[in-house]
Amino acid sequence: MNRLDFHTKIAALQQLDKTKTVQHRIGICCGAGCISSGSEEILKKLESEVQQRGLSEKVEVIPTGCMGPCNHGPLLKHLDQHTIYQKVNCTNITSILQQHVIEQTLIEDQLLFSDSRTNAHADYRADPFFKKQCKIALRNCGKINPESIEAYLLQDGYKALDKALFEYTPEEIIGEIKHSRLRGRGGAGYPTGIKWETVYKYVNNEKYVICNGDEGDPGAFMDRSILEGDPFSVLEGITIAAYAVGASKGYAYIRGEYPLAIKRFESALKQARKWGLLGNQILGSSFHFDLEVRIGAGAFVCGEETALIASIEGKRGTPKPRPPFPAQSGLWGKPTLINNVETFAAIVPIVLKGGEWYSEIGTAKSAGTKVFALAGKVNYAGLIEVPMGTSLREIVFEIGGGMQNQASFKAAQTGGPSGGCIPIEFLDVKMDYESLLSLGSIMGSGGLIIMDEHSDMVDVARFFMEFCMDESCGKCVPCRVGTKMMHDLLQKICINKGTNKDLERLEELALYVKETSLCGLGASAPNPLLSTLRHFRSEYETRIHPSQDTVQDKNQSG
Amino acid sequence: MNTIHVNINNIEIPTTADKTILDVCREHKIDIPTMCHLKGLSDVGACRLCIVEIEGMNKLQSACTTKVADHMIIQTNTDRIKKYRRITTELFFAERNHVCSVCVANGKCELQNLGYQVEMDHVRYPFLFPQCEVDTSHPWYVMDHNRCIMCTRCVRVCQEVEGAHNWDVMNRGHAVRIISDFNTPWGESTTCTSCGKCLHACPTGAIWPKAIVQGQLEKKPEIIEELIEKRKMHDGF
Amino acid sequence: MKNRKKIATVWLGGCSGCHMSFLDIDERILDIIQLADIVKSPIVDQKEFPYVDLALVEGSVTCDEHLAEIKNIRAKSKMLIAFGDCAVMTNVTGMRNYFPLNEVLDTSYVNAISNDEGGESPSHPCLMKLNDKAVPLQEVVTVDFVIPGCPPDADTIFYVLQEFLNDRTPNLSTAHKLKYG
Repeated sequence: MNRLDFHTKIAALQQLDKTKTVQHRIGICCGAGCISSGSEEILKKLESEVQQRGLSEKVEVIPTGCMGPCNHGPLLKHLDQHTIYQKVNCTNITSILQQHVIEQTLIEDQLLFSDSRTNAHADYRADPFFKKQCKIALRNCGKINPESIEAYLLQDGYKALDKALFEYTPEEIIGEIKHSRLRGRGGAGYPTGIKWETVYKYVNNEKYVICNGDEGDPGAFMDRSILEGDPFSVLEGITIAAYAVGASKGYAYIRGEYPLAIKRFESALKQARKWGLLGNQILGSSFHFDLEVRIGAGAFVCGEETALIASIEGKRGTPKPRPPFPAQSGLWGKPTLINNVETFAAIVPIVLKGGEWYSEIGTAKSAGTKVFALAGKVNYAGLIEVPMGTSLREIVFEIGGGMQNQASFKAAQTGGPSGGCIPIEFLDVKMDYESLLSLGSIMGSGGLIIMDEHSDMVDVARFFMEFCMDESCGKCVPCRVGTKMMHDLLQKICINKGTNKDLERLEELALYVKETSLCGLGASAPNPLLSTLRHFRSEYETRIHPSQDTVQDKNQSG
Repeated sequence: MNTIHVNINNIEIPTTADKTILDVCREHKIDIPTMCHLKGLSDVGACRLCIVEIEGMNKLQSACTTKVADHMIIQTNTDRIKKYRRITTELFFAERNHVCSVCVANGKCELQNLGYQVEMDHVRYPFLFPQCEVDTSHPWYVMDHNRCIMCTRCVRVCQEVEGAHNWDVMNRGHAVRIISDFNTPWGESTTCTSCGKCLHACPTGAIWPKAIVQGQLEKKPEIIEELIEKRKMHDGF
Repeated sequence: MKNRKKIATVWLGGCSGCHMSFLDIDERILDIIQLADIVKSPIVDQKEFPYVDLALVEGSVTCDEHLAEIKNIRAKSKMLIAFGDCAVMTNVTGMRNYFPLNEVLDTSYVNAISNDEGGESPSHPCLMKLNDKAVPLQEVVTVDFVIPGCPPDADTIFYVLQEFLNDRTPNLSTAHKLKYG
């Protein structure tokens, strides 16, 4: 399909959409979270109900991606009237259809935020949970059917690729990305534009683009939700990146624990190929690009880029020392661009609206928005996207709706097993790369676990250390033995058998592992320990009993 | 190749850019301990003993995998590095069951020598005492996992020099083990050629020939490099 | 003779090889007793552990008795020296640590071919109770100096004693006397 045909087809699609008589577009969240609480059955039930009542002309039922407030799912969203029903089930779905759609009366007590502080429940957008958010990477999540390329195309889908291929040179795209000040969302926060430029500058007729969807942090589900909710936007972002850096082959590495994300992404690939948006001569240009899905087999370390590359090559997934960086010598030794799912999801809006627009969101050093998987003891937990620099307080008490059961906030854990804990004193910290780093935590990929007064911080450190110990690839000594040693010592302290000497050994080991490990997994494994030691040292000290300590008194000889 | 200049421990050294920091240090008799490095085999940077400080890099780099560059300023023996090398050595000893007094390699062991080199008089960390197998199924050789430090020299020599790829690594973290074929007894290997190169590559007493006792092991790790050189000569004819 | 020091040597969970090596300093023991008295040792008949300046402790801590003993020794010694590989890093005595304790005992007392039928592991209350794991001294008390080696060479032992008795601090590494096994 050439460009002209593409435009004609889009116009036809838009025309068709306009002539639709549908007044009620009802979205049922079909993200993995809501599916696990039965949303697929609800979807089927609603579809058959609509059919039976002869409402097909008026009511369209749409399976969508994640809508956000996951702990209140399964969710049903009236896409035209902006109301969300929570905890929907196969029984109350008929009454929702009857009362809300047919009789046009709200079922107040079943609406999301019905218990909320504002009168926001009639229009969910007025509630701080949504009002405080700024959805860029998640712009289509929970709005459209993720398995339909037509739905994506109606949301200006592939307009950015069209623009990139015919109105921009690769240098100009890279310029826009640099201008946007977008930074890698996988955790390290390396400037995306500079990474693209580096790969672009290496002259090689074979280059690769890799999308890192091996999201492994406990409690993190940003990439999964994006892949499930808007796979085309990721795919389009990858395609634009491939054009910019001069790659003709790509891989999407998605962890095997995300079967739905894999299914939807593969379906997206198929449809994009059909539309000529992937493959040879994309939109009639001279640009060729195709993408393959590679499924991760459950190793956390394969989220580390060199290990991920080894895994794609069919080798044991262990990291390699850098330099050389993948940009220089990556997959099969060729220049390779590797970015995270969320990074790619931000590319399309940047290309469409310009780098300037994106750079104005967020803070001076961290531009744009960040998706967080808000979890733990808040009232509204789920998937959120906020401008960089939003304070932790806003996230917990406005978006999250405060702590569950009126408990008091104790700490927020950011960055998963590589991150740290932020205590109550720093509740006003701005959520951006630099501020979190200065507190001994990291932005990471976006896991955000809120803990209340009942959380035991030593046990939190032990939990994350156990995770790192189990997930260490075993290649380098500091990570392989160091994490095991630190875990055992933490375990000892947890059961009140620790000594002051153990605490000393822990601190020494933590620094050693941080500074000498081969890859980022090892280097960041001590972070939860170090940050809890920094902010909650007293919890460690109260666990240590001097009586357990080695006998130190040295009496004078008689 | 053009001559470049690097500064190692405040001494200017002219060299070429195709070399690693370790190569240059060894050429100039600058002592850097190593365990996973063996001349002739590819480098993996796994043991982290050869870490050095490079000015302008915030991370410690492994000398065996980092190429020298012009005007690079390197420190190989700072207090911090010495401290970390000792911890690494202690972790080696604490990880598996290294009982020198009953080991075939006693007195000829690279791990023992490393301990002396980093002045380790004792191990400050608790010993882990894992249960490890001793595979005696091979007619001539023994693989004792108690003494293995996971340097993977055997894996690399088998793959890169012998071309048999009998050895590989399984599991993750502290549960990693060297395996023969797909984790079957060594004696049942369908790939092992019984060439014995892994014996000479092994830095400790983990792989050894049967019918020797404590302290009797003779290892010639240098034959690996010799072999590679001889092959090159042969290819030249 | 006012500065005469007191030395004790102790035999915990070890094979007494370190003590044998100690005796191998031969006539140099005369140099030692110029400076110190050996007040407690397997070769000295003394029931109570006295206050001493130097205690050389051979062997690892393997049972409840050892644990009590080493704590007492620590309390009564100015300087405690872990003497030999077992005391420093459990060595051969730690080789049982890879297995559960009951398996270890059964291997010796029940399953060994030399045992009579129906043998059982000893459990009399008068007997010392084996700990789950044999541990080096430093895991249970503060150790001031270590002499690794299985056994440490007589020269090394003499060197360390001589240095301490002359109020100097020995350094095994610079003296090239570091040895394991």
